[in-house]
Amino acid sequence: MIFDEMKAPNGGVRQAYGAYENWLLSASPDLLPRKHAQADEIFRRLGITFAVYGDTEGTERLIPFDPIPRILSAAEWKTISDGCCQRVRALNAFLYDLYHKREILAAGIIPARHVLANASYRPEMQDLNVARDVYVHIAGIDVVRTGPGEFFVLEDNLRSPSGVSYMLENRAMMMRLFPDLFALHKVRPVDSYSDMLLKNLRSVAPPACDGEPTVVLMSPGYYNSAYFEHAFLAERMGIDLVEGRDLFVDEGRVWMRTTRGPKRVDVIYRRIDDDFLDPLAFRADSALGVAGLLSVYRGGGVTLANAIGTGVADDKATYVHVPEMIRFYLGEEPILSNVPTWRLENDGDRKHVLEHLDELVVKEVHGSGGYGMLIGPAASKAEIADFRLKILADPGNYIAQPTLSLSTCPTLVEQGIAPRHVDLRPYVLMGETATLVPGGLTRVALREGSLVVNSSQGGGTKDTWVLEDDAC
Amino acid sequence: MLSRTADHLYWLSRHMERAENIARFLDVANRLSLSGGDKTAIWLPVLTIAGGAAAGLDDSSPVGVINWSVLDAGNSSSIHSCLRAARENAHAVRSVIPNELWETINATWLEARTIGGPRLREWGLEGFLDWVKERSHSYRGVTYGTMVRDESFHFLRLGTFLERADNTARLLGVRAEGVTAASTGADAHDVLHWGAVLRSVGAFRAFRSLFEGEVSPVSAANMLIMMPEMPRSLHACLDMVTRTLDTLSGQSECARLAGAAHANLHWGRLDNLLASGLDRFVAEFLASNNALGEQIHTDFMLAA
Repeated sequence: MIFDEMKAPNGGVRQAYGAYENWLLSASPDLLPRKHAQADEIFRRLGITFAVYGDTEGTERLIPFDPIPRILSAAEWKTISDGCCQRVRALNAFLYDLYHKREILAAGIIPARHVLANASYRPEMQDLNVARDVYVHIAGIDVVRTGPGEFFVLEDNLRSPSGVSYMLENRAMMMRLFPDLFALHKVRPVDSYSDMLLKNLRSVAPPACDGEPTVVLMSPGYYNSAYFEHAFLAERMGIDLVEGRDLFVDEGRVWMRTTRGPKRVDVIYRRIDDDFLDPLAFRADSALGVAGLLSVYRGGGVTLANAIGTGVADDKATYVHVPEMIRFYLGEEPILSNVPTWRLENDGDRKHVLEHLDELVVKEVHGSGGYGMLIGPAASKAEIADFRLKILADPGNYIAQPTLSLSTCPTLVEQGIAPRHVDLRPYVLMGETATLVPGGLTRVALREGSLVVNSSQGGGTKDTWVLEDDAC
Repeated sequence: MLSRTADHLYWLSRHMERAENIARFLDVANRLSLSGGDKTAIWLPVLTIAGGAAAGLDDSSPVGVINWSVLDAGNSSSIHSCLRAARENAHAVRSVIPNELWETINATWLEARTIGGPRLREWGLEGFLDWVKERSHSYRGVTYGTMVRDESFHFLRLGTFLERADNTARLLGVRAEGVTAASTGADAHDVLHWGAVLRSVGAFRAFRSLFEGEVSPVSAANMLIMMPEMPRSLHACLDMVTRTLDTLSGQSECARLAGAAHANLHWGRLDNLLASGLDRFVAEFLASNNALGEQIHTDFMLAA
């Protein structure tokens, strides 16, 4: 039995959707399709698009927007919100520990080889102190649901999670399309995200910064798939949107080239992977980075957000240990559960998984974006046979999880309104403390029965409403 | 402001302005060809201005010229390419320009990219040219009506007027041979040609109220070079360029160059300027305008 966000199992409607359903029943049948078309038109005109990797035309596509909101009650949100903040606090503590005393390894809670041999572990970060001990300034936690109170974390994104611009733009679009709905519901606002982010970024200025810190957003450039988001956030925060070629290193500090000469930069919100940050330290062929950036960073001349080396904590091999981290660092029980996970390097786990490939989801340990995974129940015999060979060739590179029956949410499709599977990515911000705005990005798998919500794989998005209180 | 941002803003407005001016050149040719006359003499100059001669193109038939200067995606000076380049530059700086400005430029490109031969025929050349001019007006209107008068605004204005000065000079150069300040009278072709030139920049009515009799090369050149009241004259363009550069950085080398070029028009006399002929004047003006553009690049875009 698949849990639906709107329809109760007894055929009625779940409380959070009560007012929405009444509104929907009284709306003319062509209203949603009309508003849907209007939204597409507006998004295209605004240029709210993403470029697709591997598409040589550089074509920009719209991420399909669904006009039916995903609505969460105040109580549901409290669980998600507390759980995500708890998780990020623990992950941040883990990164601090890993790059300092490694107490959690010494205590035998995480096997050292799971992290130290990981390609995302950065020896350059060892014993380095970062401002306020914050490593994960921005985290995107992917949450799925299988029942009324059953929320699971599917993945932690601690490098440079994207999608928050869609959270904000989807809300603006919904208010534009359906002002009457916002009169019927008390929806908590998400607008303060960029102010919170800027405040946090300013609070982590490096020790060398005296006076008001200069914060910039560093993008790989306007051909990057997430460029729209980079420009959007820079504009909202009123900070410069820079590329590597706009920056240079001199006298232990980072500078940007301006029309009035060099200007010092203190905090870089970078939307570019570790590997490309500094051609002198990491990939020498990177044209996107800034030569010498790492040495300035290590010397306390600049703050990078997120810190270098956070990838070791959002890896799927590390994921299995997060509940233990929460207990170890915070002395708390995890509020949100992990999805049960088999590690294929373990003989017992591998045997079980290979016998049940047609029921399970198998993922690459370092993969993301819905690439390089097998969804057993949806795969053909040939695809399963292929994948079996890949696993046997490099078992340590894979984990497996049960195929969760993700909750569905009513979605507008060609045939009308139908249930489609959804997930949720709230964005946690770390400064003095972990906070998040009430909302997130709901991604929806538009194909019937599909469980893949990634935009690169044909997923769409919905506005996510968190209601003020449960009465409405 | 980031040097790269200044560069994108400057080229964004140069490309919008160029698209508008190519439309105006085509408008002249279109008007002339409706009044008969030698087709090659009418259309070849447009091809030259739009970079066709440099590309070794020799099809100066109306259809050839229109395809090259309007639709050809491989020609960086076609209207199609200019609108695409304006949009790409705007895309790179969308975090610093007003949303309305981005939307205007984006919407223009989204429509322009769908326009091919069939659409052009259905619309008619004149209708299409009007559309291009209208999009350029709306770009300028949004800029002027919504932007804070900060560096972004000034770099946009700089691009507009530098490009416009270049384009007005090229327009003057089309039939400049043999024209000096002493030239008197005009043959029927001159009257038609210079009348069409004035019409294409919206200056014909002003001409009628300022001058007696028929349009002559010298009176048209007077309007388009010397008169600061004519918004597309070289003098007016340099008024704006010097004022903008003074605001941005009065001490810079480019401000000095612009000031010298401006003084030449502000304090000079037409008969001196045209002493060696209009064609010579145009060539020298284009060269100095080009040097000014390069100095602006050196002073601001390579500044750190």
